[in-house]
Amino acid sequence: MNPIRDAWQSVFRRDPLSTDKGKSELVFLNVWLHIHPVKVKKENLKVKHTFYLGFITFFLFLILVTTGVALMFYYRPHPPQAYQDMKDLQFVVYLGSFLRNMHRWSAHGMVICVFLHMCRVFYTGSYKRPRQFNWVIGVVLFLLTLGLSFTGYLLPWDQLAFWAITVGTNIGSYAPFVGAHIRELLLGGHTVGEAALLRFYVLHVAVLPALLTLLTMVHFWRVRKDGGLSRPVWKLKEEKAEQLVTVGAPETNAVLAAVTASKEKTYGLMEVVTGKPIFETVGVEEEEDTVFSYPYAFFREGIALLVTVATVMAVSLFWKAPLEELANPAKTPNPAKAPWYFLGLQELVSHSALLGGVVVPGLIVLVLLAIPYIDPNPSRRPADRKWAIRAFTLFVVVNIVLIVIGTLFRGPGWALVPPWVHIVGAE
Amino acid sequence: MERRLPQFFFALSLIVLALMLGAVWQAASPTWKTYQQEFHRLEAVGEPNAAAKSDVLNADLVIRQDLLPGLQRVDRCTTCHLGAEDPTMKNAPQPFTFHANLGPHVPAKFGCTVCHGGQGLATDKQNAHGMVPFWQEPLLPKQYIRASCGRCHKEGEVPGVPELTEGRRLFETQGCRGCHKLNGVGGTIGPDITEEGAIRRFPEWLERHFLDPNTVSRNSPMPNFHFTKEQARALTFYMLSLTSEQMGSYYSSVRLIPSAGYGRELFIEKNCIACHSIGGVGAKGGPDLLGIAKQHSSGWLDEQLVNPQTIYPGSIMPAYDLDINARKAIVIFMASATAEDAQAILSQRSRPLTPRDAAIEAGKQSFARFGCVGCHGLELQGGVPNPNSQGGEVPSLLHASDDYTEEEVIKIIQNGKVPPVENVKGPAAPLYMPAWKGVLTEEDIHRIADYLWSLQKKKEAW
Amino acid sequence: MKRRSFVNWGSAGLVTLCSGISVSLAAVLRFLTPSVFYEPPQDFKIGNPADFSYGPPTFLADQKIFVFRDREKGFAVANAVCTHLGCTVGYFQSDERFHCPCHGSVFSADGKVQHGPAPRPLEWFEVTMARDGQLRVDKDRTVPASYRLMV
Repeated sequence: MNPIRDAWQSVFRRDPLSTDKGKSELVFLNVWLHIHPVKVKKENLKVKHTFYLGFITFFLFLILVTTGVALMFYYRPHPPQAYQDMKDLQFVVYLGSFLRNMHRWSAHGMVICVFLHMCRVFYTGSYKRPRQFNWVIGVVLFLLTLGLSFTGYLLPWDQLAFWAITVGTNIGSYAPFVGAHIRELLLGGHTVGEAALLRFYVLHVAVLPALLTLLTMVHFWRVRKDGGLSRPVWKLKEEKAEQLVTVGAPETNAVLAAVTASKEKTYGLMEVVTGKPIFETVGVEEEEDTVFSYPYAFFREGIALLVTVATVMAVSLFWKAPLEELANPAKTPNPAKAPWYFLGLQELVSHSALLGGVVVPGLIVLVLLAIPYIDPNPSRRPADRKWAIRAFTLFVVVNIVLIVIGTLFRGPGWALVPPWVHIVGAE
Repeated sequence: MERRLPQFFFALSLIVLALMLGAVWQAASPTWKTYQQEFHRLEAVGEPNAAAKSDVLNADLVIRQDLLPGLQRVDRCTTCHLGAEDPTMKNAPQPFTFHANLGPHVPAKFGCTVCHGGQGLATDKQNAHGMVPFWQEPLLPKQYIRASCGRCHKEGEVPGVPELTEGRRLFETQGCRGCHKLNGVGGTIGPDITEEGAIRRFPEWLERHFLDPNTVSRNSPMPNFHFTKEQARALTFYMLSLTSEQMGSYYSSVRLIPSAGYGRELFIEKNCIACHSIGGVGAKGGPDLLGIAKQHSSGWLDEQLVNPQTIYPGSIMPAYDLDINARKAIVIFMASATAEDAQAILSQRSRPLTPRDAAIEAGKQSFARFGCVGCHGLELQGGVPNPNSQGGEVPSLLHASDDYTEEEVIKIIQNGKVPPVENVKGPAAPLYMPAWKGVLTEEDIHRIADYLWSLQKKKEAW
Repeated sequence: MKRRSFVNWGSAGLVTLCSGISVSLAAVLRFLTPSVFYEPPQDFKIGNPADFSYGPPTFLADQKIFVFRDREKGFAVANAVCTHLGCTVGYFQSDERFHCPCHGSVFSADGKVQHGPAPRPLEWFEVTMARDGQLRVDKDRTVPASYRLMV
């Protein structure tokens, strides 16, 4: 008995990866990987369909957690030491400025990618039955991401942070009845101060990441149970498309084709009972349309991870995260702007506080959440969904335009100023 | 694609590894290390033997900092400015040059930024010198550094920096307080200058401002006071010293520099001339003080000031409540005081005044101290331009009794007054009479009114 | 997919991965090692030689050191922290010894343990002459009890 081989095999209990059994066991015997199916459909892997945006968002979150924990060793959430710690990270801590930059750029990246991911899911109609509730969870994850970015924004305790959060919490206070209370809860007081910093810190490092993690787990689980990643089913050949059925759909009377049990496939217990995979848009693909997750899916995921990490690192090497002067409650910069993803909101608020700050955003969130339930069209084919696509595109474009106006075209006093005029906070 | 996937993965891994190494290289080669190595080479030159030389050349490269909780700062300047306390580096190039005349202000106790400005937390040149956006206090230019003495030494004189005393004097007598608040007292027409030293990035701006306000602050209602270059420099020094430094007890205890001038002020304040004489000039109640510092040790004199009963039981000299620096100042004054000083002090004493005269005198002092002269002029002549007000300028107060009763004037001082506009369609006049109700006491206001009334030019009898 | 070529690239990838992990681990360790300390400095000046008297040592409370000055041999600096559990020892002129008030350890004038639970003699720190003529103590460098700085 070779003791080294025994020791190795006590850790890695699967068959060698050169065997099919080994490839299967790598997935379903491994606690980190068993969310994946042992085999994936080739269509799922296509970059041009999902752009791997969900994965990228998740990987950015992993980068944020790692760099965040590292930064926690050197950051005290108490003004004014918080600002001093930011300076120390920049000047004294080994890799301090690099890690801080990584954290900030990943944060912006995650907000952008989660939004793009939402757009992709909408455009590919992947929120339709039976995936409606997963869309809802996704919207909640989006809001949590914005919340994480917002709570983190205050932590450097510089002028940018202080006034962005002052503006942001003031926008929130316009909500009728509960607005003032919510603001007081968030700030732990009436103005942004020590209490606010501590609360935002706890939300940012503990509460919101925990919620995000829990919901992400549900989100991934549902994707898996709903039949895996989205794929462009409308591109399948016509004959096959006709036989597409959704299990449990009451309207269709299509015959549920029974699939012969395959010797190459591992079936879950529930599948044996019903005779077919549950909750799956059943296609009539042959076995050869599926491939082992290892190596096909994992390599692609690995590449997505590496591309994300490489991009974030490259940007962090050359572009510094901003740090303005120490927060000064007595001196408001002019203009005082919310974080960029809330600038569209601030632009709306500048026209009408109640309408722009509460009604419109509130409606937007409600409509977003309800999309899968108000969309009667069962087809995912783009040609059948022209109006839905147009409506959503309009929403996206308006959002972007509002944010661009807020960022580039608003100067002191929130006056319209073209961006080539030098816009600085008035001294 | 399948075939090349692992190659692609490997290539990307290499790129990520390269980026990691890039980040590590960036973090491991900050500029301060280069400066320290350079300094070690300089130091090695002065070492006597090879062993000592190699010791110095191989010394650790570390960030050096002065932790100053009493001054609420951390200064890392000595990371590069390694020769500051090394007299052998007198002729070394910067940043290694020796800092002469530090006196008690060693970096370990005072750091560097408290006098020089800059960003103590930083460890690279640009950031440390504060020449970056979002840092309010860049390095002070050489000619203004002595102004920083006033940031701590706010009372009394600072030897070697007469500009501070002159600047303070000009501020109090030229009427600046009329428009500018300092420490809560003053007018509201111009900005509050209590923290001017903390927020002013460019001292040159201040100096140009004093020479002619409108060249740097367009359309400013501040009149041109026609200061000389020296006066503008003195005022700039005084402005630069206006900060509200928080300092620990050690620093508060050494703030007052005992000087002969301060000692003289205290001598007058405590009225020592009432009992003592200097060189025969003065009173006979106590001993003559000429040359007393040569006859007794400073410790003996100090004890005398703390508690005269210990030295001379039964002495009629009161025990004044003076802190140690005040006592030092008096002793220093004693060392150089002569009969001429006593004569000057005696002649300065005011003759007893009638109550009315005393009130008018007090009113005159308040009129200057609170800055009324800034707009209304030292001779009450007015004349400061006030565009779009009726008359176009601040009125003279010499004829106030023509238009108002004394009670009405008192009301105006209490509640303020916005001047009537010439052209209603034009902008409001920039200068106005502020409300002094919360700032001046009722008594002060009455005395000022008395003073004004004492100077009124009588109307020509018809 | 040909298996052989895959295995080569796979190993190469594995090697890169391991290098990446090692670099990361090393970087993390260096990251967590503080570059500056928010504590009083270990290396500091104590004043000019003329400020110190001969005979019984001068106790500097802030830095917890005793400064000895001997006419023949020069300066030596002892750590006033007891090697038992860290209390501050006191020097007594009457028996020329250090006594620790916590558990009764007694050290002779050269720091050796005479009595009590202390496991090691008192530490002596390196004292040198700085270039501006002041005495400089470095608590990071300990020296034998016989070390003296001749001035």
